[in-house]
Amino acid sequence: MRILVGGVGYRYLRDGAVGVHVTDSLAGRATNGIEVEDLGYHPVGFTQNLQDRPPYDRIIFVGAIVRGREPGTVKAYRYDHVLPPTEEIQERVSESVTGVISLDNLLIVTEAFKAFPDDVWVVEIEPADEGWGEGFSPEIEAKLPEIEETVWNLTKP
Amino acid sequence: MCFKNLPVEFDSQGNATLKPGAVDPYLYTETPLQTPIEDDPQKMRELLERNGHIRKVDFDPVTRVAGALAFHTVVDLDNREVLETASMATLFRGYEIILQGRDPRDAIFISSRACGVCGGVHATCSALAIEMAFDISPPPMGIVARNLLLSVEYLYDHPIHLSLLAAPDFSEPAMRDTNPEIWEKALTTRVKGRAVHGYEFMHEIMTDFTPLTGKLYLEGLHYTRVAREAYVLIGGKYPHPQTVVPGGVSTTIDTSDLNEIMLRVVQYMDYGRKVVALWNDVCDFFYETNPKYRDIGTRPKSMIEPGQWDDPYAYDGSFENADDWGRKRWAPPGVIVDGELATTSLQMLNAGVEEFVEHAFYEEWVGENGDAHANYAHPTDPAGNPLSPYHPWNKVTIPKPTGTNWKEKYSWATAPRWDRQTMETGAYGRLWAVAMQTDFTKDRFIEPTGHSLKVDLPKAELPNDLIEWHIPETWGAFERNRARAYCILYTSAIAYDNLLLAYDLLRKGGPDAKMSVPYKVPQDHRIGVGLWSAGRGYLTHHLEMDEGVIQNYQILTPSTWMASPKDPFGNPGPYEEAVLATPLLENYEKPEDFKGIDILRALRSFDPCMPCTTHIHTDDRTISREVVTCACGAEGDHEH
Repeated sequence: MRILVGGVGYRYLRDGAVGVHVTDSLAGRATNGIEVEDLGYHPVGFTQNLQDRPPYDRIIFVGAIVRGREPGTVKAYRYDHVLPPTEEIQERVSESVTGVISLDNLLIVTEAFKAFPDDVWVVEIEPADEGWGEGFSPEIEAKLPEIEETVWNLTKP
Repeated sequence: MCFKNLPVEFDSQGNATLKPGAVDPYLYTETPLQTPIEDDPQKMRELLERNGHIRKVDFDPVTRVAGALAFHTVVDLDNREVLETASMATLFRGYEIILQGRDPRDAIFISSRACGVCGGVHATCSALAIEMAFDISPPPMGIVARNLLLSVEYLYDHPIHLSLLAAPDFSEPAMRDTNPEIWEKALTTRVKGRAVHGYEFMHEIMTDFTPLTGKLYLEGLHYTRVAREAYVLIGGKYPHPQTVVPGGVSTTIDTSDLNEIMLRVVQYMDYGRKVVALWNDVCDFFYETNPKYRDIGTRPKSMIEPGQWDDPYAYDGSFENADDWGRKRWAPPGVIVDGELATTSLQMLNAGVEEFVEHAFYEEWVGENGDAHANYAHPTDPAGNPLSPYHPWNKVTIPKPTGTNWKEKYSWATAPRWDRQTMETGAYGRLWAVAMQTDFTKDRFIEPTGHSLKVDLPKAELPNDLIEWHIPETWGAFERNRARAYCILYTSAIAYDNLLLAYDLLRKGGPDAKMSVPYKVPQDHRIGVGLWSAGRGYLTHHLEMDEGVIQNYQILTPSTWMASPKDPFGNPGPYEEAVLATPLLENYEKPEDFKGIDILRALRSFDPCMPCTTHIHTDDRTISREVVTCACGAEGDHEH
């Protein structure tokens, strides 16, 4: 079984960096068909990389995204592969190629170009602080072990 | 004498000095901005008396996680003109502060993370700044490898912009939606470039520009992949390369690598010709349809380009020799003011730069003794040229977030100026600066004529050909896009030239074929600057270090120049200026039908690195707010 765990976000953007922090932490556990990758780059490039590789059986994304929830909220769900209208997809492509890295854009762009396997999971974290700099807010700092285990548990068959 | 506004003069040997007599030579008087229309009841009344349809349209960022651009406009829909503009960088990223106290080499990897696309050039620009500070330079093969990396990076960047950002605004859905009469005309208009691109009618091109499904859109997407494949052969990965180091590139190259890169570069010689033919036809068609399209995004022909792609036998990393190695670049530096080449000196380009923060969310920095104009860290550069207290080597980043006020502070971008003038920057500026060079040295495939640039393309699938880009008479969005198409060919010729050099160096072997030099991190006080344009234009990294760590690090990007707010002299930034001059040629009968396509074409022609929302929506992610729709609505704002 080939599994990819991808951390999404910008480094040095406080809680916005939690996705790549988690994949940094999990990189040492990558083995037996589980690949861990920093996806801190634009989704069009990621889509093309996926198309070039042997197919994965499962992909798990982890990253921060603002959805108005309680800061520190961790939500894991199976991606439904539902796309927004064409106009919005093009907006997301435009953002991607102008340097924006975001979980939503990654999901929409990669799905639009049909690069996903069926089995895609997302672990979202509600950030408390997306200001500049290193380190996390107390809310996210306290949740780091839980986030890592949530992601890692999803790699199990 | 390249400066008109800075207090600098030149002696008979061309040495720059401060003009004598001035006690505080860089002092200036701030010009207050006009009161915004929405805050000026009298102006609003005057507009309403004309029974005009005045509308505020804010183009807000879609996502919250990038250093995004938002754009504020007030438009008069009756008179089809833009009345007011303000460009806002909406997020502070703080890299300058994050880098303080770190090993200078960290800057290569940390600055690369500023963007999800342009990481490679940030890493390289940082390496150049470090090389100057460390007093080292790469061996010739290390320089050629860097040239290859940064030429294929731009072969990635230009198709991205043209196919995925610019072309959708000229696609069938956009034309049907905003100017159906032009779509009708396109159905019967034959185009000139059929022999190259294969299309007979304009509407066929527009259909294939369609986002996500159009053949030209998908082809552009494909060519972003080809260039990235070439990049990772040397860079390891993209956009955050692992092999860019001070003093060269930390990998090896063999003939097989070069062959793999060559196989990809030659594809752009054919693809570029197709893209040039397409954009020539787009420009011709729109200009013939309505000559006012020449005015979309127009502004003065003033631009700044530090240049890139170093001569492997001239670049020594020193500031003292920067004028010499700069002029021997494949893209020599150039500052163009109102269409005239003001300087090709890298030192003068650097000396003319200042950053102002009157309308940005920063505090003005002050000198060590509390007087910004008399005692500051670097009154001269390492060659003795005068520097302003507002120069990046003297800049201190002090964030000061406040509420947005169009008359006071409204952006996280500073206002960079050269000789206190507004400058734009981009691939087209590079082409323009080369076209005007009189002592260009890289003439194997490229020939500047003073009014045009010829590129002698070797045979690929298509036969060899001489392509010529002409400096345009009028300057605006369409010409920016056209020039960027020619830049694919210009850049592929440079990549090809450097590949030939690399083969030659490999064949000869010896010390010139080494990829990097050893170095030690100096512990004394040093400064350095990386001057290397990104695909999207001007990029500099200014570094100051002591005791082996960074004391000050200042990054000045193309988007900072172009998305800049107004300066203390009241001059708008390039986006603001270009949109203000844009006629609204869109076909709308009612205010609610207005899409803002011409404004978006103007903005996108700059190849904005910070995303601006691409369409006006009324959903919860973007804002389209009407201040006044007609005279009867004068009393209040209406949320939509």
